Amino acid sequence: MADGTQQSGNEIEIDAVSKVFGLGAAAFHVLTEIDLTIRTGEFFTLLGPSGCGKTTLLRVIAGFEHPSNGQLRIKGQDVVGQAPNRRLVNTVFQNYALFPHMTVAQNIGFGLKMLGRPRSEIDATTSEMMHLVKMEAMAMRKPAELSGGQQQRVALARALAPRPRVLLLDEPLSALDLKLRKEMQTELKRLQVETGITFVFVTHDQEEALTMSDRLAVMNKGRILQLGSPHDIYHAPKERFVADFIGETNFLSLQVIAVQGRSAELALPGGRTILARIAEGLVPAEGETVSAVIRPEQAQLAEAGSGDLSVTVNGTVFFGTDTHIHLTLEDGQTFTVRRQNTVGQAEPAIGARIGLALMPGALQVLRG
Amino acid sequence: MKSDSHRWKWILVSPALVVLILAASGPLLIVAIYSVLSPGNMGGVSWDFSTEAWFRVFFKRDIFDPENVTLNADHLAVFQRTLWLSFQTTLICAALGFPTAWFIATRPVNRRMIWLFLITVPFWTNLLIRTFAIQELIRNTGTVNTVLLWLGLIREPVELMYTDFAVLLGMSYVFLPLMVLPLYAAMDKLDFRLVEAGYDLYASRLQVLWHVILPLVKPGFIAGSILVFIPSIGAYVTPRVLGGGRSMMMGNLIGLQFGQGRNWPLGSALAMVLLVIVVVALVFYLRITTRETGGRDGQQ
Repeated sequence: MADGTQQSGNEIEIDAVSKVFGLGAAAFHVLTEIDLTIRTGEFFTLLGPSGCGKTTLLRVIAGFEHPSNGQLRIKGQDVVGQAPNRRLVNTVFQNYALFPHMTVAQNIGFGLKMLGRPRSEIDATTSEMMHLVKMEAMAMRKPAELSGGQQQRVALARALAPRPRVLLLDEPLSALDLKLRKEMQTELKRLQVETGITFVFVTHDQEEALTMSDRLAVMNKGRILQLGSPHDIYHAPKERFVADFIGETNFLSLQVIAVQGRSAELALPGGRTILARIAEGLVPAEGETVSAVIRPEQAQLAEAGSGDLSVTVNGTVFFGTDTHIHLTLEDGQTFTVRRQNTVGQAEPAIGARIGLALMPGALQVLRG
Repeated sequence: MKSDSHRWKWILVSPALVVLILAASGPLLIVAIYSVLSPGNMGGVSWDFSTEAWFRVFFKRDIFDPENVTLNADHLAVFQRTLWLSFQTTLICAALGFPTAWFIATRPVNRRMIWLFLITVPFWTNLLIRTFAIQELIRNTGTVNTVLLWLGLIREPVELMYTDFAVLLGMSYVFLPLMVLPLYAAMDKLDFRLVEAGYDLYASRLQVLWHVILPLVKPGFIAGSILVFIPSIGAYVTPRVLGGGRSMMMGNLIGLQFGQGRNWPLGSALAMVLLVIVVVALVFYLRITTRETGGRDGQQ
C-alpha cells in the first residue's frame, strides 16, 4: 500500500534472524544468523538450492513463520509477532493458491475487500490490475478454467492489487514451461519497474536470478554466502559454492607466488605466472595452494606454444550458439572453454596439443 | 452379432437389476399398494380398495359422529416435531462436527488415522445399547441429576427423559460421525496454502473461515447434512427410548400402526408421506446448493 512514489532507503531490515525447527538434539537450523537489508524499490532475489532456507526466509518476511531469534523490520517498523494480515506485504505463492471458488475478478479484488475498501475502489483497482496483467477478457472465469500462465498472471494481479510495500514471490515461474517462463521473466521485470514496488523473489534458477535482479543473495544451508549485483556474483564469487552454483566454472588449484594488495601472482602448470584478483575477506599466504576460478568464456584457444597454458584437447560438445571444448592441463587438471561458433570455424582435433590464453583479470582466488 | 452383445449387456446388469427390484422398488411398491387397502382385523390388510388410510393421515373423524371431520392435530404435531428435531440435529451436528473435523484434519498425517478411528468407535456398539447408555446418564436418578444434586445446584432432579431435548441429544450423538467424516474428507482435500493466501491478503481469522474455508468445505457440509437429516427423519430407536410416547417421531408413529394400532394401510400411507418429505427435502436442498455453486467451478 505504498503511495506508489519511489522512496529511497531500506524497505526490509533483517538482523541476525535464525529459525530452528524442532527441539534439543532433533533441532534443525533452517536459518542461521541472517543479516540482510533490502532496499526500497529494488528487485531482490534469494537464490539457492532447494532446502537452503530461502523459502523459509520469505515466509518469515510474510509472517507465516516467526523467527526463533533476531529482528525483522519493514520500513523501520518492528514486525516480529505481527500477523500476516497486518503486514503490508503480499505473496505470490509457488502454486499460485488462487481461490478456486472465486472468479478472476473476485480473486484480484479479495485483498481490497478484506481491507474494507469501498466497492467502487475495488472495482476500479481490479480492472486496472486485470489490464496490467492482460487478463481483462478472463474476469468472470474460475481459476480451473485458466492455463498455468494465466493463473500466474492472476496471482500476480491479486498480490499487487492492494498496493503492498513489498511483493514476495516464491518460485512463481517454476511450474511454467521454458517459453512461458522467459515471457513471464520479462513481464515480472516490467511490472516491477511500472509499479515501483519492492520485489523479493525466491528461485533456484540461477539464470532467472541473473537476468531479473538488481541485487541477489546466494544462500546455502541456512546462510547467506554472498550478496551483490548479478555482475559481482558472476564475476567475483567469494566462495566455491557460489562460483559453482552460478553458471559454469573452471576451478584450478594453484600455488601463490606473491601477494600484492588485492591481487595475487599464481604459478601456472608449465612454468608461467598470472595475476589473479583475491576475493573479499580472503588473505592468502605466499607458497599456499589456493582455489582460483575462471568462467569458460574467459579463456581462448591459442597456437601451440603461445598463451598462458599448454593443454590437450579431450573432446568437444556442440551447443548451437557455442561449443564447449574440454581440455586437460599439463598437471592433469581439467578445463572447459566456451567458444562462440562462427561460420567455417574448424573444431580442434581430439588429442591435439594447443595453447590456452586466460583473459587478463578474469581469474579470481576464492574460499574453499 | 449386435443383438448378441446386447443380450450380454442385459445378462451382465441383471444381478444389479434383481437387487434394485427386490430390495428397493419391490418393497416400496408393496407399501404403496397397502396404503390404498383396508386394514385386516388381526393386522395385515384385506384386499378392498380404500382411501381411508390416506384420509386419516391428515384428518380424523369423531367417534360418535363420522361426519364431523377435523384435522388430525396429533399426526401434524408428529410431522412438525420430526422435521424440526431433524433440522436441529443437522445444525447441532454441523456446529459440533466442523471443529471436530478441523481438529482432525490439522493433526499430523500419521495421527489423523487414530482420531478417525476414535470417531468410528461408537459404531461398534449396538445403537440400542448406546441409547440406553444416554438414558442412564439423563434419567431422574441418572448420572447427570445425581451429580447436580450432590453439588447442590438443584434440589429436585431435572426432567430430561421423554422430552424433545432427550431425543435431540440422542440423535445428535448418534449421527455426529456421519457429519464429521464427510467434513473431514472435504478438509483433507483443502489446500492450506489457500488459508495462508487469505491471511496474506489482509483477511482476519474469521474472514478466512467465512470467505475461504467454509465455501471450500461446502461439499462436505452438503454430504454431511444429507447423511444426518435423512436418517434423523426416519429415526426410530432413539425417539422410542428417549422420547417415549410424549416425544414421538414419524418412525414411531408408523411403527405404532403396524403394532398396537393394527392399521397397516395407515402405517403404509404414513411411510409414503415420510418418503415424500425426504425426497422433497433432498430436491430442495440440492437445488439451492447447486445454484449457489453455479456448477462450473473447479470443486469436486
